[in-house]
Amino acid sequence: MTVADVYLQQIINGLSLGAMYALLALGFTLVYGILELINFAHFNVFMVGSFVGLGVLRLLGVMPGAPALAGVALVAVLLGTLIVTMLAAGLLGVAIERLALRPLRNLRGPAAMITTIGISYILLNVVLLSLGADSKNFPNPLPSWTMPVGGAVLRLREVLIWLVSLALMAILTWFVQFTRLGKAMRATAQDAEAARMMGIEVDRIIIAAFFLGSALAGAGGLMFGLYYNFTSYIIGFTAGLRAFTAAVLGGIGNVPGAMLGGLIIGLIEALGGQLVSASWADVIIFSILVLVLVFRPAGLLGRVAPNKS
Amino acid sequence: MSATIPAPVGRLRAVWDRPAVRHGLLALLTAAVLLFPFVEGDDADIDSLANAAAYVALALGLNIVVGFAGLLDLGYAAFFAIGAYVYGVLSSFQVLPAWSPFWQPFAALHLVEKINQGGGDLVHFTLSFWLALPLAAVVTAGCGVLFGAPTLRLRGDYLAIVTLGFGEIVPIVARNTPYLTNGAAGLNGVQAPHLFGYNFTVQATPYYYVGMALVALLIFTSIRLRDSRIGRAWMAVREDETAASAMGIDRTRAKLLAFAIGAAFAGAVGVFYVAKLQTATPDMFGFPVSVMILVMVVLGGMGSVWGVVLGAALLSLLQSWFLPDLSEWLHTLGAAIGNDWLQQIDLARSIELIFGILLVLMMLFRREGLIPAARHAPSLDFAAQHVQGVQRGGFDGELAATALALPEPGRGNLLEVRGITVRFGGLTALNGVDLVVPAGGVVAVIGPNGSGKSTLFNVITGLVPADSGSIRFAGAEILGLPPHRILAKGLARTFQNIRLFANLTVLDNVLIGQHARLSTGAFGAVLRPPRTRAEEARALARARSIIALFGNRLAPRAAQAVSYLSYANRRRVEIARALASQPKLLLLDEPTAGMNPAETLELAEQIRSLHALGLTILLIEHKLDVVTQLADTVIVLDHGEKLAEGRPDQVRRNEEVLRAYLGRAAREALDAA
Repeated sequence: MTVADVYLQQIINGLSLGAMYALLALGFTLVYGILELINFAHFNVFMVGSFVGLGVLRLLGVMPGAPALAGVALVAVLLGTLIVTMLAAGLLGVAIERLALRPLRNLRGPAAMITTIGISYILLNVVLLSLGADSKNFPNPLPSWTMPVGGAVLRLREVLIWLVSLALMAILTWFVQFTRLGKAMRATAQDAEAARMMGIEVDRIIIAAFFLGSALAGAGGLMFGLYYNFTSYIIGFTAGLRAFTAAVLGGIGNVPGAMLGGLIIGLIEALGGQLVSASWADVIIFSILVLVLVFRPAGLLGRVAPNKS
Repeated sequence: MSATIPAPVGRLRAVWDRPAVRHGLLALLTAAVLLFPFVEGDDADIDSLANAAAYVALALGLNIVVGFAGLLDLGYAAFFAIGAYVYGVLSSFQVLPAWSPFWQPFAALHLVEKINQGGGDLVHFTLSFWLALPLAAVVTAGCGVLFGAPTLRLRGDYLAIVTLGFGEIVPIVARNTPYLTNGAAGLNGVQAPHLFGYNFTVQATPYYYVGMALVALLIFTSIRLRDSRIGRAWMAVREDETAASAMGIDRTRAKLLAFAIGAAFAGAVGVFYVAKLQTATPDMFGFPVSVMILVMVVLGGMGSVWGVVLGAALLSLLQSWFLPDLSEWLHTLGAAIGNDWLQQIDLARSIELIFGILLVLMMLFRREGLIPAARHAPSLDFAAQHVQGVQRGGFDGELAATALALPEPGRGNLLEVRGITVRFGGLTALNGVDLVVPAGGVVAVIGPNGSGKSTLFNVITGLVPADSGSIRFAGAEILGLPPHRILAKGLARTFQNIRLFANLTVLDNVLIGQHARLSTGAFGAVLRPPRTRAEEARALARARSIIALFGNRLAPRAAQAVSYLSYANRRRVEIARALASQPKLLLLDEPTAGMNPAETLELAEQIRSLHALGLTILLIEHKLDVVTQLADTVIVLDHGEKLAEGRPDQVRRNEEVLRAYLGRAAREALDAA
């Protein structure tokens, strides 16, 4: 591999990571856009999502080390797993909102954010205590199809992540822009009080935001497992922080911003790891987070919100 | 909103409120802490308490940041790490530069020694533990300022995530700089403290006493800070940043100070902790540690010093005493009934799960924590609430003159606003507005809703920047100054939508009004020299006499949280708070809004008596009878421009004003009448 090929390979890796972060960042952005709440529970909804994906694949008979599937069977297994994982993660998000966050809805101060930290901890430790600290092999039914791109290699899993992420983001964009519920969601994000007076059921909108965001995190969790061939109780924290950085970088509350931010953070992680050292990648990413927040808090695509006072 | 207190609790509080009872309990607690190692023979138990002391001390530091100043810091362990590594690196064999004469003076001070491990001579750092404590506190405070200066301007939730990132970066840096920290393997051979030739080595008892002394010092410091000008400023910033800044508090400075002091606490505890463990690894300072300290603060009660001590001690001992003991009982039980699962259960592993559950439950059901920080006086009973009639005739001139101690009004124009233009995006809120307030005068600004009146006030008080124009106060330009500097120059304001510090008492609100006129700093607050004591006593007396001016309305409610007060009383508190700053010019934004006619009259007379004392007043008011009664000059704004200016009776007859205010139809109706 030449130097150029190494970078090409890192770009491919970075785009795949980026797609995953973008899915996760969308969940932060949807909830933040409406509630102005940083939802730390989202970190571990992602992690739980990857375990749900693992469980579903096993239920479907796909064990680690099993032979790859092909054709209709492959599509059916992947699609089925994706849908079940997204539903489960989405419902988890809704349950969190309903049980722990709604009672704190109109409270000033950090109470709701602290609660989401608590929930995140609960999710993490329930998984840790019930399934153990060792990382789990993730069954992978994908055939080992590869395609050379220059001197780099493009694998099926990367293509799959790109396609699925693109499809989900397209669906989300369509939903937010053109459906009735999506319009109501945007209206609520602008001004919940006014939206309520216009007959929008704000509770329903918030539930929808948690469901959608968490379902996307579930999809991200499944991608993580398929991409890295493992999952573990600790994956939520690092991925979550990077995805949050992505959301902030793109402009929190802004749907295309989250996608763009995700891609940029993915590329920075892959290329930064190559250029400097992988052990400094998080330092680079957090430094970006701090710099963006300090110098351009509205992010790349966001607008400075008018002061709500 | 009134808080009713069950009788037994009320009786208990009455007992607690007696100083003798509290001092007695404190003495008992101190005696128990001092005697514990003599009673308890088990070194492991003493060690557990010494560790608990470290966590209590950390929680006290975080409490200053989160509880007092309301800054949610999710990376607090980073400062703990910095302090730990300062001592760790400067007292171990990790960093050994080559010896040169440069080090000779340091060797003379016993900070380094010359060693030889077979090659050339090397420098071995031997920083004393006792020097390291203050040194690490200073270094971490500096780091707190460096990190806080750019980030503390961020809104609260962003600050949380930035601190979280900082908390992640510090252990990563420690892991990635092995020449300094020995990386993931950790520093070894950190020196144990010596005291008068006595080496602490690895016994628990000396650490126990040092830890307890540290806790006692931090409790004392926390309480002194809380009950001072500094503590009040933090709480004001926590409650409402904008109002705090408009009342003369430099919010960035207040936040930085809280951040730095919190960091200093953590730095000192870091020294204690590594000295005790004699090792430091990056894993000791990760996110879980920051969350644990946060759980301790939340459990005890954010802002409550004794609550935090209790919460941290409970959780720390839960980990080292209660859960292992409980696990052992379960093992015994399991062995007795032949249950394998019970025999293997290890509850200490579920500590983080317990932390998570505690966070959620506390937030849902008891946000104020085990021992709430604030205990406000309950509302007056129904009869007491309704005793006072309307107070006529304004303030008592003599009492008010003494209580308010207003500065001389001076001569000429006190405030000159020239050509002020303010744009919000495409909207021009103010367009070249001129306004002059002569010293000792009363000027009223009127105009329809949306005409720019409140924006004008916001520009004058520095809350909103102007695109062009000039504002001179007592001859000096104030446009562009931050709000707290403007207040210090003698402009105090009230807000149209009332911005009091809702969870603080009436008395505290009025005390905060005096912030700019007092001078106590952090050191003064902690050491409380005679000068500070005298200043506090004067401030308190002044606040009480200002509250007393409002008679029955406020005096019986001085110890209540302002959120318990009626709307009209909150307006009065806001005026009292503004007056407490000894203003030359008082800006009142719709002071009588929401008041009934009798209350309106009462307040109008009070404003007039302030004027009689020489106070210059600029007010926004919708009630035209109030304007007519009070103002020498009326300025009419419409669509951001000055429509008219003159004596009240002139303006009242002005054609354009009537049209803007009442509409054409109303004008015709007026003519017809």
